[in-house]
Amino acid sequence: MQALALVGVIGLLALLVWKLTHDPGGGVAAQLSQGKRPTAPDFTLSRLDGRGSVELASIKKPRVVDFFASWCYTCPTYSKRLEKYSREYGGRIAFIGVNTLDAGADAEKYVRRYGLTYTIVRDHGRKVLNAWGGLPIPRIFFIDRSGKVIGEMQADEDLPRFLKKLAVDA
Amino acid sequence: MTRLVVVAACALSLAPAAFASERHPTLNELENEVMCPVCGTTLAQSDSPAAHQIERDISARIAKGWTKSRIENSLVDDYGQEILASPPKHGFNLLAWLLPLVGIVAAGAVLGVAAWRWTRGRAEPGPLSAHSVNGQGPVDAELDRRVDEELARFE
Repeated sequence: MQALALVGVIGLLALLVWKLTHDPGGGVAAQLSQGKRPTAPDFTLSRLDGRGSVELASIKKPRVVDFFASWCYTCPTYSKRLEKYSREYGGRIAFIGVNTLDAGADAEKYVRRYGLTYTIVRDHGRKVLNAWGGLPIPRIFFIDRSGKVIGEMQADEDLPRFLKKLAVDA
Repeated sequence: MTRLVVVAACALSLAPAAFASERHPTLNELENEVMCPVCGTTLAQSDSPAAHQIERDISARIAKGWTKSRIENSLVDDYGQEILASPPKHGFNLLAWLLPLVGIVAAGAVLGVAAWRWTRGRAEPGPLSAHSVNGQGPVDAELDRRVDEELARFE
């Protein structure tokens, strides 16, 4: 009887430890809000257009990562702005849209509708999104050449400000 | 034997319904089996844009004649395993189905053993002379003798 109770307690403790070690805990966004500049969590995701996959860490220039979904009302505004900026900074900064919590067909329609030409990859599930801070979306992060996340877009003016900063770093 | 026949008959009577559900799923049933990925409730309980979009996608797939498992597999491919309200009955997720049953059986066993011990303890009293009248344990023989002597003096 005591052994059974002991096994139960150990099981619950193991679950608690697992939860604490696997909980996203706010991810990159939380660290940025604490004034830190965390290393960008790497990901390798397949491209929406089916042309292979993209590994974030292998891109050796400043990067902008935008988490979006086709059902998100405010996402198109930022996707369109990113498209405009990608034409301006495309040679110096890599623009990556991460389609998350979305159906592939809906994402493809979204990309066609807003004429997005920068790289779009798909996060099946929310594992990558959670590592960066989870919902809500859109979430736009700015990563310098060394792979450090230097900021997240909080206000509209952040986008041109961080892009200028990254372009200087390029 | 009769019980076995009854159980088999019940299972067989439910089989056509399950088969029909697999072949011709409805949005109504899937709404209660699929989660909204952004609000933590089922689609039926959610009014978010994400939930509405998934409902539209499910309706389109039903209209194309997709089976229930095909629709569920495509949703898992897009949104991850968490999109399903119930965990699948295989692999590690099988634990989610088995552990509650194991818990119920274990709790029943613990209660059964405790009840058995309790009733057994009450049903097997020792020799009457070895216990006090108020049930607080055996009476010391020397004390018993002295009490008898004292009582004899008053008689």
